[in-house]
Amino acid sequence: MPGGERRRAASAEAREARLAWCLAAPAIATILLVALFPLGWTVWESMHLHDLRMPWLGRSFIGADNYVEAVRDARFRQALGHTLLFTVATVTIELGLGCTLALAMNRAFRGRALVRAAVLVPWAIPTVVSALLWRFIFEGRAGIANALMVDVGLVREAPVWFIRSGLVWIPVVLADVWKTTPFVALLLLAGLQNIDASLYEAARIDGASAWRQFRHVTLPLLRPAILVALIFRTLDAFRVFDLVYVMTGGGPGTSTEPIALYTFNTLLQNLRFGYGSALSVIVFAVVFGLALGYIRFLGAGLTETRG
Amino acid sequence: MLWLVLLATACRSTPPGGPAVITLPASMLGAEGEVLRIQLARFARLRPDIRVVQRATPDAADQRHQLYVQWLNAGASEPDILQLDVVWTPEFAAAGWILDLDRFHPPTDSFFPATVTANRWRGRLYAVPWFVDVGMLYWRTDLMRAPPATFAELEREAARARAERGLRYGLVWQGARYEGLVAVFSEYLGGFGGRILDGGRVTVSSPAGVRALTSMRDQIYRQGIVPPATLTWHEEESRFAFQNGETAFMRNWPYAYALMADSAESRVAGRYAVAVMPAESGGRPTAALGGAQLAINANSSHAESAWAVIDYLTRPEQMLERARVVGQFPTRPSLYDDPALARALAIPPAQARAIIEHAVPRPVTPVYTQLSDILQIYLHRALTRQLEPAPALAGAATEMQALLDRVGLGEARPIAGR
Amino acid sequence: MSRARWGTVAIVLLVLGSGFPLYWAIVSSFTPEARLYGTPSLIPRVLVLDHYRALFTQREFWVPIRNSLIVAGSTTGFCVLVGGLCAYALARLRFRGKAPLLGLILAVSVFPQISVVSPLYLLLRRLHLINTYPGLILPYLTFAMPLTVWLLVGFFRQLPAELEEAAMVDGASRLRTIREIVWPLAIPGLAATAILTFVYSWNEFLFALSFTLGPERQTVPVAIALFRGQYQVPWGQILAAAVVATAPVALLVLAFQRRIVQGLTAGAVKG
Repeated sequence: MPGGERRRAASAEAREARLAWCLAAPAIATILLVALFPLGWTVWESMHLHDLRMPWLGRSFIGADNYVEAVRDARFRQALGHTLLFTVATVTIELGLGCTLALAMNRAFRGRALVRAAVLVPWAIPTVVSALLWRFIFEGRAGIANALMVDVGLVREAPVWFIRSGLVWIPVVLADVWKTTPFVALLLLAGLQNIDASLYEAARIDGASAWRQFRHVTLPLLRPAILVALIFRTLDAFRVFDLVYVMTGGGPGTSTEPIALYTFNTLLQNLRFGYGSALSVIVFAVVFGLALGYIRFLGAGLTETRG
Repeated sequence: MLWLVLLATACRSTPPGGPAVITLPASMLGAEGEVLRIQLARFARLRPDIRVVQRATPDAADQRHQLYVQWLNAGASEPDILQLDVVWTPEFAAAGWILDLDRFHPPTDSFFPATVTANRWRGRLYAVPWFVDVGMLYWRTDLMRAPPATFAELEREAARARAERGLRYGLVWQGARYEGLVAVFSEYLGGFGGRILDGGRVTVSSPAGVRALTSMRDQIYRQGIVPPATLTWHEEESRFAFQNGETAFMRNWPYAYALMADSAESRVAGRYAVAVMPAESGGRPTAALGGAQLAINANSSHAESAWAVIDYLTRPEQMLERARVVGQFPTRPSLYDDPALARALAIPPAQARAIIEHAVPRPVTPVYTQLSDILQIYLHRALTRQLEPAPALAGAATEMQALLDRVGLGEARPIAGR
Repeated sequence: MSRARWGTVAIVLLVLGSGFPLYWAIVSSFTPEARLYGTPSLIPRVLVLDHYRALFTQREFWVPIRNSLIVAGSTTGFCVLVGGLCAYALARLRFRGKAPLLGLILAVSVFPQISVVSPLYLLLRRLHLINTYPGLILPYLTFAMPLTVWLLVGFFRQLPAELEEAAMVDGASRLRTIREIVWPLAIPGLAATAILTFVYSWNEFLFALSFTLGPERQTVPVAIALFRGQYQVPWGQILAAAVVATAPVALLVLAFQRRIVQGLTAGAVKG
């Protein structure tokens, strides 16, 4: 290639890069401003004693004291435990159910539009609304769930769900499963539809049973979709806030309080910004660690295909 | 976005030379908003040099609190007057956000002593009691001749009403995890002779405290007179239960009295009365003190005018009018002998006064809200049987004491740096 | 049981399971308050409009609706515009630093919102933006911007590159190509992305709860969640509000369901 042409190619490339940065800059700047910069501020804040309620205490630098307090804080450790419990329970159920539904939906049948609608509406309604709705279903004597349980003869008198530290998880998890399973099913369905039909053809010719087809064709090829659903759901479940805030307020006692809610209460109810920020940083670190772990697990597949 | 900020600040400045503008955030809803508008209109005729502007505020207490903290912490000179919950005064006083009112020589002797105590911090008065709220025992006059004096009597009457009249419940109160639960507990606690705080020392886990909490819990699970659902209830759920004739007793605030008098809505109209909560020997009948106070923003540029407004709103005539329109109890004991009050209030003033005289402020400390937060959680854990009463109160006491010590309010140590 | 029948059963269960709570909410929102606390029955006997009337007369529910429309609308408009340009660059143009940028955007999109509440609160307070529209739109960008960019990169990737290349070979500049070739083709994708961003912003709760203070700036989810008044839980009105809050997003989503499913799954699965 003659030198002039190479230079021209190079300058075209530089022009393209310049244009790309110009186009991308506003969005990237926004993200830096509203997300990364505040994150740094959180870290800085977390090393201070900053209590809006007690201005007379000042705002002194206290290093890692807030983190030490967090480690010793039983309520925080419990909140972490509740978050994990919620995450494991909902993600397991949602993936299992979602997978079943995706397989069922992956065949031609009448009324597809209806099914898609049934799947999309719970996903689209505000979490606050679904939480209230499920609270209403399980509420007192008037709750339909309680009335049905009594009618069917399952129990003589329905329990007061929201004062039982164990039972209360049932409506909580159910509400989340109801709202998000459809989303998981859709993700998995898209994965299923990407599988080449001829593979099943070949398996059938080889005389493979339905189970063997699922085990040796569907599952391996669905793996990427399952992993993506797993990541999205785990990170989402780990951030749970709206649902619990509205449905139980973290109660009874604090037995359903997740870390996001505890952090929120520390910040905006008690106005302990230093300590609350330390909790925020810990939550962030955990979520980020989870995300990194998953991405490594996936073999960096996420950014690679895009990058 | 900057222009919005500029616009906002521009709008806030007052025109020079005109009347002093006093901002007063208060509930603008319903009868309460209406009576305030009427009174302020009268005040405007009296003092044309002062213009009072009402500001809408959230009705939920915690949201209003957050809003105030934000305004005051930013050093804003507005609003000039603040309507405070009884438990906020020490917090705002200690933070230096509200004015010491002793300079205006308020007539402290004319108010119920408990309401004055609740508004004092370090010996100085920071807010004027506007109206008073007290926790009380509603009892059914058709089921018994007199209100119970002890918890044992209450339990007996409740059990009898359930057995003989087929009532669903015996007693209902507010057991959800919120401030109301602490108010109820403080009444049981007082009845058993305990206190939450003694100076800078947390005393809630005393034997009296454990007995009080055990009694609340036994009433749910052992005697079965209090429904477990109470542990999810706020005021209105208990009122519905009482109003539907489902329970012999209810612990609630005065607001419910007038609401249940309407026989179209209420099945117990004309068949209930109020009394102070019971007490055991060694304890004292106790009514949790609530209500509203008026205070002045420490950064207000019109403190004198603000005081004039407060002074006007807390005069006997205005209190009588408030009692008539909204049903709120005046904070001046002298009014309770006034026949005008008997005409204004649904509750016989003598009954109301008897209860108010048993009013006890919840702990008067700048960190009350945080202390209450801790206590609520442990109380709810014990009442939902996640913890036994004794360890629950011990846990609460440890955390509460740690909080007091951390902010320098433990024991009798003075606040550092102020 | 045959596989086909097993599939049908699963589908029927799905539709029932998804649909019943919605049915129940709608029925209850038309049930008189007194009956709401009695023993419930599956088929309603009396239907009334009381709760809806109370919602708009006593509660002024149009205020949160207006707030939500303004906040979600502005967020969506800004994000689709600014994010669209960025997404195009990331999807089509060659430049160094692309992979880290995509990584950054993905990373920000999994941010736990709670981890930026404290600085945003302090920042907004200093700017006197608490309880204002900009004070909500700004925080909303933290999740809406990465979401929009991420979805749009997926859409742009799906557009055939040949047309653009042909236009550029014909001597059209990049910007002209974008305006004349890419823009018309991208409209469906932009619309689907806009709907998704709008739905997310409409439903957002934590920021709206943290950065508003009174009824005059609360969004729909916050207003509904705080309906539980100082003394009571007005279930009838709560459910009526729930129906009102859900209707617009549900209708949007139903009208564009095919595109939205594509957008969701392209954004996630192919990502």
